[in-house]
Amino acid sequence: MTSYDVTDPMIFPAGAATQTSAAEAAQGEWDAVVVGGGMAGSIVAEQLGNAGYRVLILEAGPGKDLDLAEYESYLSRFYGAAVKDNQSPYPFNPNARMPRSTDTMPVRPDTPRDDFYLVQEDGYCTDTTFTRVLGGTSMHWEGKALRMLPEDFDLRTKYGQGLNWPLSYDDLEPYYRQAEAELGVSADVEEQAYLGMHFPEGYVFPMRRMPPSYLDRTVARGVDGMRVTLADDDYTLRVRTFPQARNGVPNPAYDGGKGFVPVGAVSTSQVEEGERCQGNTNCVPICPVQAKYHAGKTLTKALRRGNVKIVTQAVASKVEIDERDGRVTGITVKNYRSLDSDSYETYTVKGTVYVLCAHAIENARLMLASDMQRMSRSKLIGCNLMDHAYLLSWGLLPKPAGTMRGTSCTSGITDLRGGRFRGTQAGFGVDIHNDGWGWATGSPYTDLVELVDQQGLRGTELRRTLGNRISRQLLLAFMIDLLPERSNKVTVDDRYRDALGNLKPVVSLKIPPYTMRGAAFARKLAADIFDRLGAEDKTVYHRDRPSAVEHDGHWYNIVGGNHLAGTHIMGSDPATSVVDHTQHSWDHDNLYLVGPGSLPSIGTSNISLTMAALAFRSAGHIARHLRAAKAPVTVRG
Amino acid sequence: MSASSASEAAPDCRIQTIEELHEYLYKGLQLEHATLPPYLTALYSLHPGKNADAWHVIRVVAVEEMLHLTLVANVLNAVGGTPDLTRPGFVPTYPTRLPCGPDYFEVHLRPFSREALDTFLKIEKPAEAAGEADRFVPMDWAALGLTSDGAAPPPQELAELEASGAILGLVPGEPTQRFASIGEFYEEIIRGINHLEDQARKAGKTIFTGDPARQVTPEYFYSGGGDVIKVTGRDTAVAALTLVAEQGEGLYGGIYDSQDELAHYYRFEQLELGRYYQKGDDPGAPSGPELSVDWDAAYPVKPDIKLADLTRDPEVLAAAREFNESYATFLTGINLAYNGQPDLLLKAVWEMFRMRDRMNLLIRNPLTGHPGANAGPTFEI
Repeated sequence: MTSYDVTDPMIFPAGAATQTSAAEAAQGEWDAVVVGGGMAGSIVAEQLGNAGYRVLILEAGPGKDLDLAEYESYLSRFYGAAVKDNQSPYPFNPNARMPRSTDTMPVRPDTPRDDFYLVQEDGYCTDTTFTRVLGGTSMHWEGKALRMLPEDFDLRTKYGQGLNWPLSYDDLEPYYRQAEAELGVSADVEEQAYLGMHFPEGYVFPMRRMPPSYLDRTVARGVDGMRVTLADDDYTLRVRTFPQARNGVPNPAYDGGKGFVPVGAVSTSQVEEGERCQGNTNCVPICPVQAKYHAGKTLTKALRRGNVKIVTQAVASKVEIDERDGRVTGITVKNYRSLDSDSYETYTVKGTVYVLCAHAIENARLMLASDMQRMSRSKLIGCNLMDHAYLLSWGLLPKPAGTMRGTSCTSGITDLRGGRFRGTQAGFGVDIHNDGWGWATGSPYTDLVELVDQQGLRGTELRRTLGNRISRQLLLAFMIDLLPERSNKVTVDDRYRDALGNLKPVVSLKIPPYTMRGAAFARKLAADIFDRLGAEDKTVYHRDRPSAVEHDGHWYNIVGGNHLAGTHIMGSDPATSVVDHTQHSWDHDNLYLVGPGSLPSIGTSNISLTMAALAFRSAGHIARHLRAAKAPVTVRG
Repeated sequence: MSASSASEAAPDCRIQTIEELHEYLYKGLQLEHATLPPYLTALYSLHPGKNADAWHVIRVVAVEEMLHLTLVANVLNAVGGTPDLTRPGFVPTYPTRLPCGPDYFEVHLRPFSREALDTFLKIEKPAEAAGEADRFVPMDWAALGLTSDGAAPPPQELAELEASGAILGLVPGEPTQRFASIGEFYEEIIRGINHLEDQARKAGKTIFTGDPARQVTPEYFYSGGGDVIKVTGRDTAVAALTLVAEQGEGLYGGIYDSQDELAHYYRFEQLELGRYYQKGDDPGAPSGPELSVDWDAAYPVKPDIKLADLTRDPEVLAAAREFNESYATFLTGINLAYNGQPDLLLKAVWEMFRMRDRMNLLIRNPLTGHPGANAGPTFEI
């Protein structure tokens, strides 16, 4: 075995992804078995590894080391893809499928569509996705790293809506800071202290804020100072930058003046790349230089210690339970040979504790496929599925505004994330997209096709017209709160199985009127903003699409946010929640469910930072659990 | 290179005045920059999507040469000088010549190839330990084919040669001698700084009279590896120059520098040896992951190409002129950054992308009348 560089956080230990076989892993007992090598799993493994425990990570995705060659193969696949959706960088893997936005339509058994991984049978279908490669959905996330508002934690008490958390903002605050360090967040505290969000005296983010784009400043000229009235309250709007988990200018005042060293690209050799965002505009799905955080950066640290191991191409297929005491006795995995073959071998791995970190849908799917609902006191496994409901509005600005320059999204409007109006309608955040209308219309490719095929433009005129049009595109994406509803859920159905015979997730998600009231208000606000900017409103909604939702006689298209949460919500009562405030299963003593599935509400922040903060918090509790479990038995003499 | 300390006497210090120190540091800027055109030409000659290992190795070294340029500018600013990247002749005419022990070798603008890698290894080669006596080598002008009798060219011609960067590593003002290595060149500057600062202190003064606001600090410059050092006095000046010297060749015979960056020589050597170095390795024996090089996956850029080679391809010629103009503009921008506007370095990032695109434009075009050769940037500024 090679010795690893223990001083450089960006050196991935060569061979770590392949050196442990499933057969070896199935021998003996680990301190902790972690299912999923994404953000939550990597954080938990790194923290437990650091505490000295022997940890096994099971990853369903393909088993290669995280090196630059592998990362760049993702990049080149993305560059070459005709449809550049969130999953386009990753090879098709029949053995650990992922949902694709291009597969968004109702599935009927025994039709070609029943091949889709995410099964939806309803008229409304979400195009939401999550990613199953090493690194998980952090391999396609955008990198916004907003905290939840203090009021998000007790929405029920405050506004009579949704659910209260068993935790408060203040309980989570130290872990938010830990997550901001791990993910490498760029933001200015002065700009982020709004709607009650507070920070300890003297705190600064690891890196300074991403500079607002020229487009942001153009929009700000129309928006700043704009007043809106909602539920008898007045709100003054302004454009504000978003905290981002991508490398910016380190803040020398960080950590009491110690500063911050950004973590760039990870690889098996010293590559020295990605220590600063370069303003490429394809943050989603993949940053060309790894300036954006992905879980591989945490995984690299975890695997370097030697007591954390990983088995890849290992799909967790069943959680084994002792029916007498409800304890988990093992995780059965199907270890497939390659992406080209459905041949696999089955092993059962054992640990003192088990931590499911496979993301909201896969955690629920795995538990339901393991018949764990039967043992659940709340019967809520898979229920309360949430995702942000996105409403897009797009307009053409009167003058070129620099669209397509900079990080995908640098600023937005966040003043309507919170307030008393949440008693009757959903709050929302607004993203100003630096990447044009792509999300809404397929621009710039659709623009090109139109200008060539319909307008017959060629050469210089085509170039000029295309450039002029694209640089005037303004897309406002409204990220609207979706409350937990028992009927929005993940289930499994014997009719739908994947290549390895694992049950596929069946999803039913409906957009409730509370969210749609927010959407209707957002639509009007977008029109007002376009008006103030002199922009031509080009928004069109189609009622014949699976994303169509009717509200008050109008049709809207509500698209998915890839912020899946809430399938094993936390609470203070085993009858109404699946895990407690430490993400400890109420029903299985040696089981933790760590990830966005534990969130009892998602408010208006992208879920990753909160999920990471919770993972840090739970890792501490799991370590305490292990300490107690492994303490020598006291023999009475 | 043997580092001098302040207490050491400076017996044969060639730098006796602040003006001489400024001139040495200008030569340092010229020297650091001179490696960029060859590195960039080789880098962008690589076929896209191929040779990822070679791509990243050359890229990191090129970025670190920009760090060196910045470090030397910081030292020059700290001692009250004025960096000038726009002086005629700052960008050498290729091939230029660099010293390597007893020999000079030519540095060509060439596509990625075994020959190019060989040159890169020579540029970054760790210097033989030199005694006081052999830190300098007599100039053999005849061997360079520049004079017939081996004596220095006449003063006018010599001044032009010196200014043009055609021969690097000369002892400024002494046409009969050159430095044995680039390391010795920087050693001489460090001795000069120590000497002048000692003198100044005796008179209750300092040579570090530059405006601190002219320093490029880490917020304006991040490199592939290594951190920019703000130079405010003797210690930081020596640290900056030491980093410049050791980042090429490694520290005290090791393969890493003091900031734990693999030295350039060993980065390049990985391509030759087909394997990455990792911590704990000895020179010549890397034990990290394997890498592979496809020597044929590069566009055949015509070596040391000049505008005159492009006359039969008017569009390529226009693009080559445009590149040279934009490169001159780029250097002007960097120069402004080194002259009190460090935030202009942030803007330079996208200008570098534009430069890459312009180079790609040239490098992908076959040349008329030169079978098997492609165009490339000429760097005739």
